[in-house]
Amino acid sequence: MDNIPELLCDEREMNAAVERLAEDIGKVLAPHPGDGALVGIHQQGVPLAERINAVLKEKSGFEPDFGTLDISMYRDDIGNRSRLPLIRETRIPFDVNDKLIILVDDVLSSGRTIRAALDALTDYGRPRLIRLAVLVDRGEPEFPIRADFIGMKFAVPPDHKIQVRFETDPDGSPGIYDIKWPKR
Amino acid sequence: MQWTRKDLLSLYDLSGDEITYILDTAEEFKKVSERRVKKVPALRGKTVVNFFVEPSTRTRVSFELAEQRLSADIVNMQAQASSLLKGETLLDTVKNIEALQVDLVVMRHSAPGAQAFIARNLSCGVVNAGDGAHSHPTQALMDIFTIREKKGRIAGLNVTIVGDIIHSRVARSNIWGLLKLGANVTVAGPATMVPREFESIGVRTCTNLAEALEGADVVNMLRIQRERQTAGFFPSTGEYAKFFGLNHDRMKYLKPDALVMHPGPINRDIELTGDIADGPNSVILEQVTNGLAIRMAVLYLVGCVKK
Amino acid sequence: MNEYILKNARIIDPGRNIDCKGDIGVDAEGRFAEPAALKAPKSVDLSGKVLSPGFIDIHVHLRHPGNTLAETIATGTAAAAAGGFTSIVAMPNTKPAADTVGAIELLHRLTAREAVVRVLPCGCMTVGSAGEEMAPIGSLKSAGVVALSDDGKCVQDHALMRHIVEYAKAFGLPILDHCEEAKLSEGGVMHEGKWSVLLGMNGIPAAAEEIIIARNIIFARKINWKIHMQHVSTKGSVRMLRAARAEGVPVTGEATPHHLTLTDECIKKFDTNYKMNPPLRSEEDRLALIEGVSDDTITVIATDHAPHTRTAKMVEFDYAPCGIIGLETAFPLCFTELVKKEVISLPRLIKKMTVGPAEVIGIDNYSMAPGNAADFTVIDPEAEYVIDKETFKSKSRNTPFDGRKVSGRVVMTAVGGKIVHQA
Repeated sequence: MDNIPELLCDEREMNAAVERLAEDIGKVLAPHPGDGALVGIHQQGVPLAERINAVLKEKSGFEPDFGTLDISMYRDDIGNRSRLPLIRETRIPFDVNDKLIILVDDVLSSGRTIRAALDALTDYGRPRLIRLAVLVDRGEPEFPIRADFIGMKFAVPPDHKIQVRFETDPDGSPGIYDIKWPKR
Repeated sequence: MQWTRKDLLSLYDLSGDEITYILDTAEEFKKVSERRVKKVPALRGKTVVNFFVEPSTRTRVSFELAEQRLSADIVNMQAQASSLLKGETLLDTVKNIEALQVDLVVMRHSAPGAQAFIARNLSCGVVNAGDGAHSHPTQALMDIFTIREKKGRIAGLNVTIVGDIIHSRVARSNIWGLLKLGANVTVAGPATMVPREFESIGVRTCTNLAEALEGADVVNMLRIQRERQTAGFFPSTGEYAKFFGLNHDRMKYLKPDALVMHPGPINRDIELTGDIADGPNSVILEQVTNGLAIRMAVLYLVGCVKK
Repeated sequence: MNEYILKNARIIDPGRNIDCKGDIGVDAEGRFAEPAALKAPKSVDLSGKVLSPGFIDIHVHLRHPGNTLAETIATGTAAAAAGGFTSIVAMPNTKPAADTVGAIELLHRLTAREAVVRVLPCGCMTVGSAGEEMAPIGSLKSAGVVALSDDGKCVQDHALMRHIVEYAKAFGLPILDHCEEAKLSEGGVMHEGKWSVLLGMNGIPAAAEEIIIARNIIFARKINWKIHMQHVSTKGSVRMLRAARAEGVPVTGEATPHHLTLTDECIKKFDTNYKMNPPLRSEEDRLALIEGVSDDTITVIATDHAPHTRTAKMVEFDYAPCGIIGLETAFPLCFTELVKKEVISLPRLIKKMTVGPAEVIGIDNYSMAPGNAADFTVIDPEAEYVIDKETFKSKSRNTPFDGRKVSGRVVMTAVGGKIVHQA
């Protein structure tokens, strides 16, 4: 079977990568207490941002503002999908003006999601700066978009998908997987 | 679940899950109107035609605003069903609209099923903005959204709809939506306007208002059309208000925290007294606000799905 | 014409109470004959087939003159032949209406030119079927009408109706009445009941039909003249008709295949091919109608064949014209739904499509007895197929039965010995 997920990285390594990300983000946000914010992009960017937040809090006692973002209303493939998944909650409970915002997503692939997220986020106001943190960078974005904080890099063929599973996900066995998953 | 429909024609067609899905989607769209930038690019580059073959102000404005907030391009068309009859057929008219590469048609029409008929013959999406006495799905969805927002649920609630049930598309759409989500529905009004046939689908029918209001969590007071009086359905608006209007005395039958709703436009002091329309139980203006969110959600769903 | 013998068929001839295997001859004049009396006949083998007198449909709209885009005498009679009908009664609501001698003469002329089955004219009861002035009933009789009807409309003025029945009796013309109280049905587009309420459509109450059925029974009893109730559709109508017939009142009733097979629930998708008048009724009404067919309260199956162009039907349900075509689907539908489901036997179904209608319009001794015109229909009772409207001979396609699986096929139809349809 083609579509049996292949484990790229186990839970322990994955958690270590999350800790490294948190550490790097902490260094950038620490000089600006009260101005930093983490915004996780649905789906897997949200649990990732929560974990980064928890590490920041535990390691440095430091807790930035926290938000979630669904980019469905900003996608560039409208009318190309025969089934629409439910829009998840966008919650930006802080004033984004003049904030230092770290956008968090699990995998940087084409860059299209980040393009949409930037549009969505700037509709809420005018942040001082926006940086991008990802757990996995596939290395070949279709848009001129690069991550500022990278947990790890994997190069997989274009018809493969990288899936990040946390221990709270229903399909279990946390880790990072490579799945052959032809693009529709 | 995931959304797959290109049209929204009636709530009778939808499952309870699909209705809940629209309500959930509308939660997110409601926030868009509360933001600094009240607009998202979801329908950017899409063209929506608002085709109203029956006069309407409120519904058309609400749809138009929803379309603008989704960044769609909009064309408004008005026609009279009678003039369509004499000249071009409805189908030819909408086929001509479609030939202009339109993505969505929002249509109101006086004939039940007119939208279902054109949807079968068009590849673009069709949203029903009211078809005769048959269906008005977005109105019912906004009513149900408002109830869910205030009460946290629909299942198990006692909802009473009062007025000209037989001629009301709002009543029919609310009935289907509420039943599918598990509410207890009562319809009430003059015997000439409350067909007992509704009991066959599990709706309680009532011609005594006190009985209909007893223990209700929600009461939806429908607009009464004065032309029904000349057609012999009831003797006078005065008598209507006396027996079927919501007034201070009748509020005691409702639960204390009951919601008072009205699809508008209100005939003050006929369907309900002005102080109740403006009072603490009234959610009439919130229905209007939520209507915008519902229409954005519906247009997003049928507009974004692959045709 | 060559003589021939129809061999080895199951002969069902209700007029003579015959149901047996055998042979029937057709002579050179196109009449039924004893096979032994023929000199050098050819033979036609009908093993496994049923041989019936030609079907009669006393309720057909040919649209000619007036709406020849929907049907013509040529296409309408070809459809009749394909459905096994050898005689049809042409309803007078053509444009212009058949309310004058000239209109009937035109029909005779058109029929002589292009009809393939017998077309029996029916005249209007009132001028233009407007329900206001009595039509020239005596003159219409002289021109050759076999009955009177304002079908599509109903005389609302009871005094006028009474006079029409009295006057028609003197000329021996039966009344075929479309029973509809217009004030009660005004604005209605479907049966008033559960589905009209759920769909928000204006209903036509059963009472609109039943009030006029009651009126007609009262007049038929008082005047002692034949009133035939067209397309009976409600439980109450069947009940009144049953009681009146038991009492000996000279009333008869017909049922259409669509009222026997479809209900108002079919309308929930707003397909205008389910729009008719009288409307498709409730399941309770449909079952009552079947009971009426079963106990001979209803003695006639008639199609109310009502062609409409695709353009006319491709509109909003409210604005669509009423009616469907029925000639080419009547027998298989009734065979499938009534005979196969054991409501009535095949001989009794044939009776309701031959002798029953013949009696209404005053044709006595309708049978395959030697000497009678050789109008006959051959049925393959074993055939099973799916109705395909694209195979129809009718010029119109407005049927809700396209794609329906049925049993029983009309394989041959002959008028005066001449074969006018063969499948």
